[in-house]
Amino acid sequence: MAKRNYRPLVSVKALQKTMGRYYAITNYHRYWGKPLRRPLAWVTSGAPVELLRAFKIHSAYPEQYAAIYSARKTTVALCEIAEAAGYSQDLCSYARSNIGGVLRPDLAPLGGMPKPDLLVACNNICGTVLKWYEVLARHFNVPLLVLDTPFLTAELTPQAKDYVLEQLYAMSADLEKITGRSLDEKNLVKQMRRSAEITSLWKETRQYCQASPSPLNAPDFFIHMAPIVVLRGSQEGIDYYRKLKAEVKERVELGQGAVENERIRLVWDNIAIWPQLFTFYKMFADKGACFVSDTYSGGWAIEQAPGTPMESLAATYTEVFLNRSPEFRANQLINLIREYKADGFVMHSNRSCKPYSLVQEVIRRKVMSETGVPGLMIEADMADSRAYAEEPVRNRVQAFLETFE
Amino acid sequence: MSEINEQANSNESLELLLEEATLNGEARLQRYPKKKFFGYFCSYFPEELILAAGLEPLRLLPDGGNSTPAELPAYCCSLARGTLDMEIRGKWQDLAGIGFTHTCDTMQCLSGIWAASGHSKTVDIVPPVMLNTSGASRYYLAEMHTLMKTLMALTQQDIKKEALRNALKLCGYTRKLATELDALRPNLPSPLASALLRAGQVMPRSDYAQALEKCLPTLKEMAAPPYRRVKVLVSGAVVENDSLFAMIEDLGGRVVADDTCTGYRHYSGLTLIGAENPLSDIVQRYSEMPPCPCKNRSLNERLSYLTDLAQQRQAECLIIVIRKYCDPHAWDAVALSKSFRNNGIHTLTLEIEGADVGGQERTRLQAFLESMIEDSGL
Amino acid sequence: MQKYFVGVDIGSLTVKVVLLNEDLETLGMVMNRAGFSGRDVATRLTEQLLADSGLTTQDVSATVATGYGRVTFPSDREVSEITCQAKGIIHLFPSARTVIDIGGQDSKVIKLSQNGKVADFAMNDKCAAGTGRFLEVMATALEVEWQEIGELVSTSENPTKISSFCTVFAESEIISQVSAGALKADILAGVCESVASRVASMTRRTGLEPDIVFTGGVAHNQGVVNALAKQLGFPLLVSREPVITAALGAALLAREILKA
Repeated sequence: MAKRNYRPLVSVKALQKTMGRYYAITNYHRYWGKPLRRPLAWVTSGAPVELLRAFKIHSAYPEQYAAIYSARKTTVALCEIAEAAGYSQDLCSYARSNIGGVLRPDLAPLGGMPKPDLLVACNNICGTVLKWYEVLARHFNVPLLVLDTPFLTAELTPQAKDYVLEQLYAMSADLEKITGRSLDEKNLVKQMRRSAEITSLWKETRQYCQASPSPLNAPDFFIHMAPIVVLRGSQEGIDYYRKLKAEVKERVELGQGAVENERIRLVWDNIAIWPQLFTFYKMFADKGACFVSDTYSGGWAIEQAPGTPMESLAATYTEVFLNRSPEFRANQLINLIREYKADGFVMHSNRSCKPYSLVQEVIRRKVMSETGVPGLMIEADMADSRAYAEEPVRNRVQAFLETFE
Repeated sequence: MSEINEQANSNESLELLLEEATLNGEARLQRYPKKKFFGYFCSYFPEELILAAGLEPLRLLPDGGNSTPAELPAYCCSLARGTLDMEIRGKWQDLAGIGFTHTCDTMQCLSGIWAASGHSKTVDIVPPVMLNTSGASRYYLAEMHTLMKTLMALTQQDIKKEALRNALKLCGYTRKLATELDALRPNLPSPLASALLRAGQVMPRSDYAQALEKCLPTLKEMAAPPYRRVKVLVSGAVVENDSLFAMIEDLGGRVVADDTCTGYRHYSGLTLIGAENPLSDIVQRYSEMPPCPCKNRSLNERLSYLTDLAQQRQAECLIIVIRKYCDPHAWDAVALSKSFRNNGIHTLTLEIEGADVGGQERTRLQAFLESMIEDSGL
Repeated sequence: MQKYFVGVDIGSLTVKVVLLNEDLETLGMVMNRAGFSGRDVATRLTEQLLADSGLTTQDVSATVATGYGRVTFPSDREVSEITCQAKGIIHLFPSARTVIDIGGQDSKVIKLSQNGKVADFAMNDKCAAGTGRFLEVMATALEVEWQEIGELVSTSENPTKISSFCTVFAESEIISQVSAGALKADILAGVCESVASRVASMTRRTGLEPDIVFTGGVAHNQGVVNALAKQLGFPLLVSREPVITAALGAALLAREILKA
């Protein structure tokens, strides 16, 4: 008898509805965008979307679509298109598949992304987004706005904060020109408040996983993080997470775990392996191992920095975890392991994401030394299935899980 | 008598520089026992500050081989892996410190990894990426101030305005000489020019300036027009030896211009001296020099710069040399080769593991240059 | 007075030599394993080829060497295998505009201009996938002889899919397919598809223009020929002796040296 050891959430339906609505609205932007004077921006996942919302700009996220392309198993075909156009196979697979989808929308799920009226990139997550969006800017011939958030080797320096702040004001001026609207301060405050609320809800939802058994597992984090990425600042997003939080709370009260017979608690580091989202974590669930937290979806569970809206945006978006030192990130992982009483952690050495992955070994050592729990490294790619070798991965996972016996 | 002396000096200087280029700083302890070196990555690290701190800037280059230190995954460039490996082997122990400039993601990570697992003292500067954006210059200036303070703490010595101005002068002069050399390069063997330009990054700066000044007359005499040679523009990042340039020369090409970090781009840009705060002068030069792919001065500025450069030097083709896993150059290569092709300039994108070229590169370079030769009817 | 020209292609695995006369008649061609010293083998093969036509090295007006070992072989000129391949193919197929060469250890796509000169090229010589080596590794794993591949593949109705881009991983993938009960013919068909697919990607970099000629050792393999033709959506022209086309090109260039 096939034993099912993964408990799906009821909220998934609400999620599908919420996201479905978002994709539909986005895909039909060409019909309502102009009449409503609401341009479409392609935006990086770490961009200050609250500012864009204050200008009534609708945002679409290439990284988000890239994850869908992966789930729908179209990434490889799309990457091949980009590679044929000269883009090296060693470049970020989100970028390659996105470019493939731009060149051949007929090969992309959902017919690819709707054409942008502007591009907004923030390099707090990586330097690749700058190059990627330059390519898009040349292709679409639309304005490219870049928020340059200097890397923080330690704490946020006054000069970095001033620099980002000044850029935000300049960006605001550019957005006024592009939209023909002036910055609505009240609206910005409202967007920030909504963001803060959605972030709070997500944070609290994740915190329930400190319970044993954990009500959620890694696939849940990755699937249910979608609204916080693309609907941050919206009421629909808030409504959705209220629902999710309630369900997760109930699970804890009923002692329902995401994984049956949870006996190993783990923390996950890096982006998900989207093409193998379920099959990969099943290897763990089958042995009673549950991922009780992760550093990736947790990246959207941060407090807003204090100050005026612009000051808060400047600090919050510069201080994202990917823009911080290995020491900061090691501490983040150590805290998660302690708070969530994890027995070990797994790091995805993700070829596509250098900022996330290159520092993993030094982090792994520090974390193992400070917490005493073992850490496993898995080599793969977040979206390109050609970089996933099932046998070697299975071997490593099996060996790792055996150490808990 | 003095003419003969001059010639002898000139030849000696040339030999010195070529030796230094081969060593890449390896024999610094024996050759310059009284100097204290400070290592750095990247042409955006302000050498003036290192010099003003009484230290000699030493560009860190990998010493060959395919190193795979455990602290880095395989999918990053051999510049990072090689130099980190050398750190672990204790090759940089004598350095006063190591300066990291946050340019590409790999350098950004390397800084943190080095600090966590290396022995040397690391120092960071985080210049703006969007060099022309609001607040960028002000921010860059503040970063310079912070760096200056860090270097002062490192050396336990003050850095006065005069020291900065002297450093600016020395760097400005060096750049002027390098520019003269670069102007000659269409008429000099390709590996000679590349070696002489690299030498200036791996030896004491004033010694370099002196030696280059002395041998420029000899170089001018050596210079001969590149008849029947295919004129090549090379674009890339760090190229730590002359293997590629030698092969291009060997196969009938001539590198008439280079846009590489260890080549002319390191010395490019205007050095002005005149601001009340010398740091402002320094910021200006680094902000305005021809950008590398990690920086953005405008969407197509780099493209325009390279197009103009090709035109000025009458380059017939472009070779984009990309170190494996170097993302920024791999990104730019597409737009660059498309743009050049549209202008009728053939482009070859050559991916290499490090800087050494072998049979595989030879096949590609040769086929490329053969097609150029046939084209020009030679 | 008849003149003779020699083209030598010293690859890392095999050496090929072609003997040509001024009237463009191929008097002989030979291929052999390179072994330890491709250069020595090339010398020996050249002498043998000449002897078979009643000639000696004195009778040779010019020699051109190509291939991996061209640099150290004593010749009048050494030319890249890309240029030689283009030369050889355009001679055999004047209508050729694209050349696909899949050899033992590398694969390349060459775009030819109207006058048969090299306009662009893409090479894969860093990775076994998409080369004869890939086929060899998989054939060995399946305990099939190289020569049997074509026939076996023709019986396949349901090719399997190989997703890894790495030969080593692909090998373990097909072993899993064997355990899962897939037919040898189907797996081999999948292997051929995989090779064809890698090469097809290269053609997208240079662009594809008919007529397309498929050459190199792997062109003997009907399984790959069919898979490639299907994936490209174009018929492929295949020479009767695909292994020696670069050596032929070298010999043709040797003839031109003298004319110059």
